Parts: sequence; structure tokens; C-alpha cells
Amino acid sequence: MSTTSKAMRQSFGLRFSSAAFLVFWCIIAAFPIFWIAVMSIKAPRDAFADNPWDVIVGPATLARGEGLSVLDIAVGLVVLYFAIRWMFTRLPGLIRQYANGPFIILGWLAGAVLYALAFLLVFFVVLPLVLGPLNSVLGPLGEPILGLTTQHYVAVWGENEFYRNFLNSMLVTAGVVTISLTVGTLAGYGLARSGSDLAFWLLILALIFRALPHSVLVAGYLPWFINSAEILRPIFGELSPTLYGQPWAVIAVLVAINQPFTIWMLRSFFQNIPAELDEAARVDGCSHFQAFRRVIMPVMWPGVITTGLFSFLLGYNDFLVTALLLDAQNQTMVPAIAGYFNRETTTTDQVEAVAAAVSITAPLFLLVMVFQRQIVSGLTAGAVKG
Amino acid sequence: MNFKTFFAFVAPSLFMMILFIALPLVSVFIQSFQITQPVMQNIEVETCTPGFLTQTCTTEMKTVPTLDEDGKTITTTEWVGLQSYRNLLQMDKVWAAVSSGNFAEILQIDFWKALRFTLMFTLVTLPLVIIVGLLIALTVNNAAKSVRGPVIFVSLLPFIITPVIGSLSIYWLFVGDGILTAMMERWSGTNISMFAQAWTIELLMYFYRVWHVAPFAFVIFYAGLQTVNMDTLESAVIDGASRWERLRHVVIPHLMPLIIFIALIHLMDCYRVFEEIVGFRSQAHVISLQWLTFDFLTPDDAGNRAIARASASAMLTMIGIVFLLILPLRRTWRDHKGSAH
Amino acid sequence: MMLKKLALAGVVSLMGTTAWSACAFENETEVKILSAGFEAWKAVTDAMAECGNVQAELDQEFRTKQPAAFEANPSLYHLGGVSNGTITPLLNAGTIRPLDDLVEKYGQHLQPNQLIRIDGKIMAVAMMVNTQHLMYRADVFEEMGIETPKTWEDVYAAAAKIKESGKMDTPLGATMKSGWNLAQEMVNMLPGHGGNFFNEDNTPAVNSAEGEAALATLKAALEYTDPEVLVSDSTYVQQQFQQEKIAIANLWASRAGAMNDEAESAVVGKVKMAAAPMAMDGGAPATTLWWDGIVVASNISDEEADAAFRVAMEGLDEEMVKANNEAAIWLVKGYEPGPLAEGAIATATANPAPPAYPSTTRMGLMHTALGNELPAFLTGSRDAAATLVAIEEAYTTAAKEAGILE
Repeated sequence: MSTTSKAMRQSFGLRFSSAAFLVFWCIIAAFPIFWIAVMSIKAPRDAFADNPWDVIVGPATLARGEGLSVLDIAVGLVVLYFAIRWMFTRLPGLIRQYANGPFIILGWLAGAVLYALAFLLVFFVVLPLVLGPLNSVLGPLGEPILGLTTQHYVAVWGENEFYRNFLNSMLVTAGVVTISLTVGTLAGYGLARSGSDLAFWLLILALIFRALPHSVLVAGYLPWFINSAEILRPIFGELSPTLYGQPWAVIAVLVAINQPFTIWMLRSFFQNIPAELDEAARVDGCSHFQAFRRVIMPVMWPGVITTGLFSFLLGYNDFLVTALLLDAQNQTMVPAIAGYFNRETTTTDQVEAVAAAVSITAPLFLLVMVFQRQIVSGLTAGAVKG
Repeated sequence: MNFKTFFAFVAPSLFMMILFIALPLVSVFIQSFQITQPVMQNIEVETCTPGFLTQTCTTEMKTVPTLDEDGKTITTTEWVGLQSYRNLLQMDKVWAAVSSGNFAEILQIDFWKALRFTLMFTLVTLPLVIIVGLLIALTVNNAAKSVRGPVIFVSLLPFIITPVIGSLSIYWLFVGDGILTAMMERWSGTNISMFAQAWTIELLMYFYRVWHVAPFAFVIFYAGLQTVNMDTLESAVIDGASRWERLRHVVIPHLMPLIIFIALIHLMDCYRVFEEIVGFRSQAHVISLQWLTFDFLTPDDAGNRAIARASASAMLTMIGIVFLLILPLRRTWRDHKGSAH
Repeated sequence: MMLKKLALAGVVSLMGTTAWSACAFENETEVKILSAGFEAWKAVTDAMAECGNVQAELDQEFRTKQPAAFEANPSLYHLGGVSNGTITPLLNAGTIRPLDDLVEKYGQHLQPNQLIRIDGKIMAVAMMVNTQHLMYRADVFEEMGIETPKTWEDVYAAAAKIKESGKMDTPLGATMKSGWNLAQEMVNMLPGHGGNFFNEDNTPAVNSAEGEAALATLKAALEYTDPEVLVSDSTYVQQQFQQEKIAIANLWASRAGAMNDEAESAVVGKVKMAAAPMAMDGGAPATTLWWDGIVVASNISDEEADAAFRVAMEGLDEEMVKANNEAAIWLVKGYEPGPLAEGAIATATANPAPPAYPSTTRMGLMHTALGNELPAFLTGSRDAAATLVAIEEAYTTAAKEAGILE
């Protein structure tokens, strides 16, 4: 679009309204999320105040002597700006330098995790250490003016051991993404290359499967999962497992639930890879599987990454399945949040829930930042063609 | 590709879908025609419960399930045909309401109330999601290259956020004197309660769903826009087509398969609307079909669940989705036939 | 400063795991407990965990999981935390064991009224009671010269007076969130008006003069409550209290502590508790009594049951109560009722006393029917008579399906 011809050029009115719409949309998109982030760092009385200004400034939080000074804010914003800039400009190059080919995904993940750790380290250890003494020297500039407390995060991650839920979430999500993609890629390829009516009807069937309300499925699983040891005993003897509470059983369920969408996406993606490619390989004497491995696999990554991202979101965000089929030891993060909303909830619990919610959202932030380009390029490469 | 290879490729996926979706589906189908109930007996039970310092003992007749020698509850399963569907649909009341011309009566029946909302929710949000998604895609495509990255990032946020959290974050903005409600009150000078009547709750639910799904439509449309054929566009310009005509005759037809794809996914997901009902606590005013099913399945304190009616309601939900999907799927079928031959 | 706090939090959490070892014995058998997730259970399960090998699950979905998990063989949990509502499915399925011999062996310190006897056999050990009772802003009442309300009429009169004075727009709070909460209000109100839910043969008896009266009392509240009352659960009412938006509510006793929480509440020391209001003169307070307690699974070996019960007794000892005196209205020896417990005790010791929540199969079905049908009445889309008919129909359909009606 850079070489815009004269006729393509837009009037000022159009450009202005287009930009205005975009700004408006961005505010709507970000505001609720921004707001829960603000709530999570205030004392309970401030977090649920009805005056927005009180929520932002946080008088009750300040009254407890917790807050940021002008200096803190200024320094913090500057560091934040450079941190974000660095991430968009330098980080990609750095990662590409160390990882390539199919490993680029791992490279990105490692890079993202390291970046997140460094970010936390700078903001919660280095900056407070440096700014603490400075604030006490600076007088009025060092007085806290913006209430901020990390007590809810400390409570969530420390006392409530949220890191366990975090690890469980990671386990379940990683399992869902890997298995879902492995199984789905094979099926998607098969469906794309078979022009038979059977393939079509399988797809339609998968769609209808997707239509079944999840609450019915999950409620149906529960008695089987709880009694599986007793049911399977005649077959597996004493080794028969109780599926209830097992992360891998939940992974299997989530993969199955996610299959219809995965195979639809991947099928349309494979349809856009010219069939001549694998036919040429077949002429050279490869079997279908060999052709798939040698010819298709190297070019399928954009579509697979995009589809994988959707699987990630499903596994990570799931509530119904994980809430019912996992026990507290293996609980993932989203249902753990519901624990804050039981019938004996206090306002403090609710703000802790908000802090937990923000904690859940943070990795998603990171993921989108990292994979944003891949999503668009993967989709552009044709992962969706109806 | 012969059948055997094809089967080898799809077998793992098919196996998982059959085990975890098709089999439960069959059992739901069967259960919707059955009623399983424990054999009940009336016995006199003396129950002693604590007050604060003393106990009160009461003796009363209780209806309790009978246990066999192994301590398992004895149950009977009976084929009841369409009884559960009848309990759900309450057609007699519907006809009575129709013949008396009092159509509002129909919406007092849970199933019809839920169906009304579910259909309306699906059909209202569908065009909104597509239009908003398309608008964002077009404006982002129009924006300077340097801001596109951050804008795409911000735009995707509502889509990636955990639905439970997303709906709560919006609920908190509006409930009681939530900051946005308080702001509207200050502007309008009247006392506003967003969760006190059905229509405001419904509006919020539409808003939330569009907010949540439009980014998905956006990113897919945006990807589609990257592949618009520039030559066609240029020649349209030479032919003197206005901006609007170019959009209508070149861009939209190019995006049509994507629009169908979004519509398909959206129809399915919307028809199963559930999170909004729980997140916005709208049960008193509006309910949806999946919520109805969920409610039947949630055990009460005494452990009862209405499995038969839940199965019937799940089957009816599925039938509804199949009907909704026929239209967009006809096109997929034509494409399939077109590409196969 | 932040760093210091983090370090402090770490130290505290370390102390939580090691420095306590107040258990009288070392438990060697694995014991698992599944219960609801509120503060009192946390206190009890933490005390149990001191004995070692205890795995506590405070799960929000316990209502769904417990019956199924106890029915498995072997049971997935040894102990269960129940209330007088949620014990019913376990009793019905016979998945919990009588505790008489275990109580004799390990339960010498239990108070007699902690032992829940069903047909003479001890089936559960209660630890605390809960009930809905009146909470009111003593300062506002005093300022306006209003006496502590005794009946619902008094409550509405007081609310009217406060509303007229312009002090608060919505002086009354109510836990009327549609579903369970709203149904519970009717469960309070109908017996309060002298009505019954059932006839002898399990057919519904809601459609009566008492039913109409109860509905009228419920609806009268709407004049003084927040218009969003149909989404308001106990947490919301508690917040309204804390933020000085309401002056009266019939609220759960377990919520009393939050009124004096400095971090959350703007009304510390201003809220007083009194007995639940009566629906009619000379009647019992229009509320129900609840207890929470521990049961032992039957599908486990006797040795496991022995160990599990012994651990449970450590969780329910005097030491735990002394450390968590304000967390609940305990039944355990050593509890010292503070001013916050006054309302609950006044309610429980009223004469005539309010009934315990009548948990039975039919009551469960009725509770659901009430929760689903009452909202239409309160939003005004159905009148009282039609609502009572609708409740009876919904109950009858469900009761036929459950096999308790022909």
C-alpha cells in the first residue's frame, strides 16, 4: 500500500474519522482490562469506590502509607517505555539469532519467559531498591501521591500458593497444545487431501460435535471419571487409575473438545498448500506419510502456530472442564479464581481475585506480544478459507 | 489418497472425538427418552440438630431412596418417550396462550424464554461482530505502518482474555454504583441501575459479546485484506469506481469465505451462550438454553438433578444449532463439490 | 519497602508450615478431606494438617463432587465437610458411616449438642452454627430514635423512616439474588407466617393464604432496597453495609466479622446484631438454623476411618477455636461468644425457636422451584397467585421425575 496512487489517496475527513474510530476502539478494548489492573493494586475500600478518581489515586491506600511518588512515577514510566520499545525492536532479532527453523517457537517462548522475569526483577526489585533511598532524600518530590499496594499479589502468590495453579495451568495448556496439534495436523492433512464425500461429512459431523453444550459433556464425564478405577479394574487390575483429578485425563478431554475447530482450521490451511508439492514427492516414491513429513511439515508452521494459539487459549481459559474434573491439588488458575467467590467472600477476597485475574492475564499479554506477527501471517497464509 | 491412508491420518482425531464427544452424545440422546429414579420409601426419621446450647430433635416422615444389601441405591429406569420434551416445551400452555392471544404468557415458560433470548442474542450480535470486525480491520489497514503493531495488540486483548474474567471486569464497571454507572448518573442526573431490568442487562450482554468476539473477526479479516488483489483494485479505480463501490464489489467478495467462516463459528458459540448469564447474574431476567441445561444438571442441596430434562434440553439446543448452520454450510457443500470435480 | 514485605511474607508462610506442631500425635495414614471453602473450614483443616499426611480440598464444586466421590469404592475422600443441607445426599446414598464407637474412643471433649444423631446414630459431628439474623446500624437507629425491630413490619417501618429522612436512598439490604438465595428468603418467610411447603403425601402446599402473605412480605422489601436486589448475594449486602449504603439487613451470622474489618469497612463498631425478625406476632423468628460439621466415608477401611476421625478431632479442639474465635459461631468447647455473636444466639435461643433447615429430597426440589419461579414475581411480570401455581407446577414436575410423587 506504500505506493499509493493518486486516486487511492484519502481525503482528510476519511483519514480523520478512520483514526478516530481506531482510537475509540482501542480505548474500549483496553479500558476494562486496564481498570482491573488498577483495582488490583488498591486497598479494598479504594478498589470498589464509586468515584473513578478515588480508585485511581487511592486515598485509603495512601492513608496506609503505600504509594508511588512523583519520582517513582517518572522513572517508572521512562523505564517502561524503553522496556516496551526494546521488546518490539530488539528482542525479535535477538531471538532469531539464537533459534531458527522449527525451534523458533521454543526460542520465542524462552525469550518471552526470560523477558518477563527480567521485567519483574527490574520493576519489583531494582527500582524499589534504587528509588527507596532517593525518595527519602527528595522531600516533597518523594512523597507518595498515587496509592499502590502489592499486598493482594503477595497474598495470592504467597499465602494462597497461586504458583501451584500456575504450574498446573502450564502443564494442562502445554499438553493440550501439543496433543491437539499433533492429532489435528494429521487429520487436517488427511481431510484436505481427500476429496471424498466421507471427508466432507466427517467435517460436518465434527461441527455438530462442536455444537454440543459443554455443560452436558462435562456433567456426563464426572461419574465415569470418579469411578474409573472400579470400572477399569476387570481390564487393568490394580493398576487402573482414577481419572478424576488427573491432568492428563483433562488434557484428553480438552483436546477432544477442541478437535473440531483445530481440524477445520488446519484443513483449510493445508488446502492452500498446492497439492502438486506432495504429488511430486509421491512420484519420487514417497508414501503419503513420508510426503507429509518431508514436504509438508517444513512449510506448515505458520498455520500450525496460529492454530496452536487458539488451542492455547482454549486450554488456558477453560473453566467448566477443569473446575469439575480436577481436584484442588491439580487445579488450574481459572477455576482457582472462582474459589475467591464462594459464599463467604469478603471484599478483600474480591480484590485478591482481581489480582489473581490480572496474574492470569499477564502471560496472555506476553503470548500475544510474541506471536502477534505469526497470527496475522499464519492467517494470511490461508489458515482460514471458510 | 485411498481410504486406508485417509483413515490412518484421521484415526487419532476421530477416536478422541468419538470417545469424548460422540459417546456422551449418544448417551444424552438415550437419556432424553428415559427417566432413571431411585426406588423411594417413606420412613420415620428422628433428627437431632444443634441450636446454640441445646439440641432439638424432630421426628418426621421422610421419603428416602431404598438401598440394597451392598449399600447401593436401587434405581429403576423407564422409557418415557417424549415426556421430558413435553415437560420442557409445555406445549399445552403454549397453545392456550396462542388461542387466547396472550403471547407474553409463552415467555413465562423457561424453555421459550431461553430460546427467545438465545436466538435474539445470536442474531443481533452476528451482524454487529462482522461489521465491527470489518471496520477495525479496514481502519487498521488504513493506519500508518508504525502504529499497526501496537494497535493489533490492543485490539486482540478482549479476545484473548479469559471469558470469566472479561465478563466480570465489565460487570464491575456497571454493577451498583460502579464507576461507569456513576458517571452516567452524573451526566443524566437520574438514578441508573443497569442490573435492575432485563433490557439493560441484555444490552450489556450484547456489548460484552461483541467486545469479546469482534477482535477475532478483525484479525481474520485483516489477514484477508493482506491478500486482496491490488491489480483488481487498481483497475477498479481506473474504471472510476468510488471507494464504497470498490469495498462492495472487490473487497467484500474477496472476504466472503472469511465472513462465512466467522458467521459459522459465531453462530455456534453464541447459541451456546453461557458465561454472560453467570457473569452478569442475569438469571432473574434473561436465561439462555445452555444455562437452562446447566441449571437442570446442577445438584440442589439434597443432590437431585433433572438429568432427563437436561438431556432433552441439550438435544433441543443441538437441533437448534443444526438448523442455524444449514444456511452457511450449503455454501461449504457447494465449494466442496466444486473443488472435488 | 516492597522487598521487605515480600521477605516478611516468606517468613510468615514458612512459620505457617514448620513452627506449628500442636497436634497430639503423628498421623501416618493418608487422610483426605473435601469441604466447602470458607474461613472456618480453612481454620479447621489447617489445624488438622498439623498432624501430618492430611490433604485438604476446599473446593467450590464440592456440592457436585461430594456425593459422587463418596460413592466411589474406595471413596476418594475419607472426611467430608457438610452442612445440614449437603449431608442429605450422603445420608440417602448411605456413603457415610455411623460414628458412635469413634466418638466414644476419641471424642470425649465433644459437647453433647455437637453430635448429630439420625435415628439415634451419630452420623456427623457439628462444629459451628450459622443463621440469618438482623444486622442494623446502631448509630443511625439511635440518632433517629428507632427501636430495634422485632418483626418484619418494624423493619419496613424503620426503613421507611430512614428513607424519608433522606439519609439513605435504599436503607434495606437483602440477599435476594435469584436462585438459591432468593429461595432461601421464602424458606424463611413461609414457615414464619405459619405455612407449610408440603402436605403429608409430598404434594406441594405452597399455594395457600400463608404463601400469599409470605410473598407480600417479600415484595414489600423492594420499596426500600437497591433496584438491583435480584443480583445481590451476601457479599454484595455486606459491601453495601461496609460502604454505608444500607442500614438494615437480614444477613448471615458468618458475615458479622466483616463489619469490623478496618481494611474494608467504613462502619467499624457501628453495626449491631439482633434476633431475626418475626413474620407474625408470637411466631418464631423467620429464619432457619444451619450447622456445618464433619462426616466420615463408609467406603474406606476401619483403620483409615479411625485415623481420619482422630485427625478430625484434632481439627475441632479447643486450641483451634481459641485461635480462630471470630471466624464462626463455634459449637466447640472454648468458644467465647463476642458481641458479634449476639444476634445469632438470640435467634437460636428464641422461644419458639426457628426450625433447622429442613433438608430432604423434596425440600431440595422445592428450593430449586422457588429459586426459578420467584424472580418473575419480584420483577412484576407475574402476580402472586400465578407465581404460587407456577411454583407448585415446577415442583410437581421435578418431584415426579425424582420418584417421590406418583
